[in-house]
Amino acid sequence: MNGNAVEIDHLTRKFGTFTAVDNLSLSVGRGEIFGFLGANGAGKTTAIRMLCGLLLPTSGTGTVGGFDILRQSERIKRTIGYMSQKFSLYPDLTGRENLSFYGHTYSLDKSTLKARIEELAELLSLSEFIDRISGRLPLGWRQRLALAVAVIHKPTIVFLDEPTAGVDPVFRRTFWKLLYDMAETGTTVFVTTHYMDEAEYCGRISIMHMGKLVEIGAPRELVLKHRASDLEDMFINLIRPQGVTDAAN
Amino acid sequence: MWRQFVGVIRKEFTQARRDRNTLRMLFVLPLVQIIVLGYAVNTDVKLLQVDVYDADRSEASRQLVTQLGAGDYFIPVDRALNGSNVPLWRLEERFREGDAQMALIIPRDFARDLQLRRPVKIGWITDGTDANAGRTGTGYASQIIQRFSNDAVGLHPNVEFRSQFMFNPEAESVFFMVPGIVATLLTMLTLMMTSMSIVREREMGTLEQVLVTPISSVTLLFGKIVAFVITAMLVMAIALAAGVFWFDVPFVGSLPLMVVLTLLYLLSTLGLGMFISTITHTQQQAMFLAWFFSIFTMLTSGYLTPIANMPVWLQYVTMVNPMRFYIEIVRGIMLKGSNLWDLYENVVALAIFGTLIFSFALLRFHKRTT
Repeated sequence: MNGNAVEIDHLTRKFGTFTAVDNLSLSVGRGEIFGFLGANGAGKTTAIRMLCGLLLPTSGTGTVGGFDILRQSERIKRTIGYMSQKFSLYPDLTGRENLSFYGHTYSLDKSTLKARIEELAELLSLSEFIDRISGRLPLGWRQRLALAVAVIHKPTIVFLDEPTAGVDPVFRRTFWKLLYDMAETGTTVFVTTHYMDEAEYCGRISIMHMGKLVEIGAPRELVLKHRASDLEDMFINLIRPQGVTDAAN
Repeated sequence: MWRQFVGVIRKEFTQARRDRNTLRMLFVLPLVQIIVLGYAVNTDVKLLQVDVYDADRSEASRQLVTQLGAGDYFIPVDRALNGSNVPLWRLEERFREGDAQMALIIPRDFARDLQLRRPVKIGWITDGTDANAGRTGTGYASQIIQRFSNDAVGLHPNVEFRSQFMFNPEAESVFFMVPGIVATLLTMLTLMMTSMSIVREREMGTLEQVLVTPISSVTLLFGKIVAFVITAMLVMAIALAAGVFWFDVPFVGSLPLMVVLTLLYLLSTLGLGMFISTITHTQQQAMFLAWFFSIFTMLTSGYLTPIANMPVWLQYVTMVNPMRFYIEIVRGIMLKGSNLWDLYENVVALAIFGTLIFSFALLRFHKRTT
């Protein structure tokens, strides 16, 4: 496989008359940590769902891991890992049972699966919690478990939709360290977040507003370009509706 | 594909095992249901309270009353003789208060007229509110009185009527009920499990996480279905065992045939459950629809009331109810020892329904998840 991990060309998705994603084009290189930013309702989740093969675009094309999102969604599913915004593992199963079930869905054989679960438990420091009912775990641990499930089959690209929402700062720090480790081994990380400190950890970020891509680039360069004091300042300026001033807020 | 399939089945059973309450409900409820319903839905006409107003007080009239009480159909109580001494005009009140269901009135000179071979009239009054019991009781009584009359005048009719109930010599209604209860349990169980399980995964968001993996929605569905079929068969075994060992319902036919045709029937209910899951968004909606379909199929299946007693247009409606055919199959196999050829019309009907419903629902399901 060569070329970019993610390549989107004029991707559009409409729900009725509402355009959730409007003419989105971008590319993400292999091994990159790409921050996919935007306010709530900007269309981030819809875009990710299209990239993961959960939703068909209304128009436009794209590839993920070199596979066409329109015609090769089955191949894409073997290549990617996905962590949804909402905790989507089986809450009545333990961590190990969840990992085992998802391992089965990727047709991992018994010994590979067993070794992989041990490896992930070690890597994510989950050993202590892995045999507890996952729905009763504290949020931070649940998110780590969800990450473990997303990477059980060693995907080359992971899509993480607000993986650290509601998690405490210490946890966020360790979580991001994991993402860095993954990127170092060549995994592409496509992540959305509302935390600007996290956005600064990304190699590049893009900012979506009302379905459209309004900015893309390295965080530091974007701050300089917009003469903003910091990333947060720039972000707010970019997505503020036209004509609304600070005084009006 | 096989690994994926095994993964789903294992996951379903782990989830079922973890949910102790549902598990308990799943296996205790059928037992309770079959035992309670076996007793409650009992249409046997037995031990009817009969008030006797004997104005003759002769040897012959006493003999008639004794014969009436000989079987376990009637409990005759002589109202004109014992202390309570209820006069005939209070009969309506006795019926109204539910103290008696029938009354026998023997006129004065009953014995004398019998002796003289004069025509004798006997009164039999029935509380008609329970029409079924009334009709059956009157039938029994008329037979007993006929026999008494023949014996009394030493008359032996040229045509002697001898009747026998095949497959159910004691005419026990529980024989008729248990196969119906088994069918109802299976229907409700599979309908609810299938429809709610799929909708729950969608509602909780777990379906989305599964659908980003390479497993196809159909593999996921079939894994679930296998788990449900195993559960349903276990529940059926419990219900059948309760019927056979507790109520002494015979099982004269072939158990393997019963298992095979039950699987054929489940094709329809699983299909319907799947269909429900494709038209509902929440577990509540799915539960409501599953309940509605269960009641509808139950009422038009001949489970409680014979289909032949329904109005003609409703009889046509029952033709699109797979449970109707399944109940006939269960009754046939259990009580009559019917074989595949005896039942082939029902089997063909089930096969057609099952294939149609199941493939239609599968198509819809596939479309909705991809």
